[in-house]
Amino acid sequence: MGGLIGLIVLLFLLPMIIQQQTYYLHVFIIVLIYIIVVSSLRTVALSGQLSVGHAAFMGVGAYFSGVITRELAISPWLAIPLGGLASMLVAVLIGYPFTRVRAIYFSMISLFGGIIIVDLIMVAQKWTGAAGLANIPLLSPINIPGIGNITFLGQKLPYYYCTLILTLVCLFILYRLEHSRVGINWKAIAQSHMVASSVGINEAYYRVLALAVGCFFAGLAGAWYAHYTLVLGTSTFGFLPSIYLVMYMLVGGQKRFAGPIIGTTILVMVPELVRSLKESAPLVLGAIMVIVVFLMPQGIVGLFDQIRVRYRKSNKRKVTESVAGN
Amino acid sequence: MLLETKGLTKNFGGLTAVSKLDLQVSEGEIVALIGPNGAGKSTVFNLVTGVLHPTAGKVLFNGRDITGQKPHTVAHLGIGRTFQFAYLFADFTVLENLVASCHLYPRSGFWEALINTPSYRHKEARIQTKALEILKFVGLDKVKDELARNLPHGYQKVLGVARALAVNPKLLLLDEPIAGMTREEIYFSLDVFRKIRSQGITILLIEHNMECMDLCDRVIVLNFGHKIAEGSSAEVRQNPEVIQAYFGRKNA
Repeated sequence: MGGLIGLIVLLFLLPMIIQQQTYYLHVFIIVLIYIIVVSSLRTVALSGQLSVGHAAFMGVGAYFSGVITRELAISPWLAIPLGGLASMLVAVLIGYPFTRVRAIYFSMISLFGGIIIVDLIMVAQKWTGAAGLANIPLLSPINIPGIGNITFLGQKLPYYYCTLILTLVCLFILYRLEHSRVGINWKAIAQSHMVASSVGINEAYYRVLALAVGCFFAGLAGAWYAHYTLVLGTSTFGFLPSIYLVMYMLVGGQKRFAGPIIGTTILVMVPELVRSLKESAPLVLGAIMVIVVFLMPQGIVGLFDQIRVRYRKSNKRKVTESVAGN
Repeated sequence: MLLETKGLTKNFGGLTAVSKLDLQVSEGEIVALIGPNGAGKSTVFNLVTGVLHPTAGKVLFNGRDITGQKPHTVAHLGIGRTFQFAYLFADFTVLENLVASCHLYPRSGFWEALINTPSYRHKEARIQTKALEILKFVGLDKVKDELARNLPHGYQKVLGVARALAVNPKLLLLDEPIAGMTREEIYFSLDVFRKIRSQGITILLIEHNMECMDLCDRVIVLNFGHKIAEGSSAEVRQNPEVIQAYFGRKNA
């Protein structure tokens, strides 16, 4: 707990540490946004559903919010949560008919679903722009009592703080859900859907729920991303980015909540840090992934668990004795 | 009559797994369903619990038609079950298995879980107590913090029974509950079954083990989806049709 508070304080002091260099602030903002997206991907995966089209749901939120703020002149502050809801709605509409589809077959549906969504965004050129969506409105200035008026024009710092707060709130909600009855049911379904429904857990409901929650946060993060970058192209939300999201999650470790956070931080930052290597930079990224897959099948976070298990002796025999000794 | 099937039939393509089965289990009984491999015993369980939909026929529970209900609804109505394989949540601890299984009583919703209301916390505390009570009842409370996958096979199956008890069942369906167990584990389990019966819970079980059969009030024998015999375990053992089903026709 102390470590967590320390980390959060550090994140709030970070702009001072990096002396408000615009470029690094930008990298951290992107990392924070993707932490939301990858954590939401893990939330879907908790119920045993590995989505390989998750970036498309980020895209639904981004485009929805971008288009309605441009066309209808709605405040971005309202449009961003609406973007999340739009993404959630699309996810439920696609997910509900396929609740009988499990495991790898679900992944295939999510792959096609993601591709179709991105295609539809491209088809709707009238609103989404032939060469990408540009001129997305900035976040409008807000007035926080005690701090004063905050404007976002040409400023990275307010964006950094707002993104940080958004990320912390999203992570808090996802963490609470995972450690509540809802999360228990998700994990139960992932382990055995037969056993889960035999104790009264409505498998279809909880799987759609996981999809809805995960895609809401992906859409929310996407909408926030739209009002940060102000320009959108469909290539950000296609198949390859979806695969990257899965990579971020697996490299960090899927089993624990911290996995996506660590994986995303490392894998988004590494390409930026090794930028001086020019065209061989992707090699570093590839090398990290290969090393993780070979040496840490449970991801970076899983490595700590492996070490802990190694230092604890197998206790199968002890178990037998303690039951039999009743 | 607690459980009744009327003309229950299930076809898998051209294969008839269960054929016009009339089955009756009354309250407080322990009934065994036996038969050679492929006789359709597990299919009957899956039909009763809604995992499979019957081709024809009806399932009545407590006089109510439950044919074609979803498995989670059937659990809600008061039928607990175990499985022949993969009977538990392997990555949960023993206690977590029970906590996850106490989903229905007491029940909480999405928003109260998210907001963590006092009433939600109270319900979860009650679930912890109930989970521990059930573990104590079946004698697994000493290993509550072990990962379920680390338990010896026999106790994993007992945990499966404990899990099924968490839905407050009136009827318990046990699919080969003592198959593959060691001697001590069998005695341990039979004790548990007796205790369950003394709680007034009706048990329908699939088993081949004779010691388990002697515990039963009645034995029903299936072969190729048909009921070929019914009676006490001694009666059934003498039945020529049963002997033929298990050992084949005697050649002159």
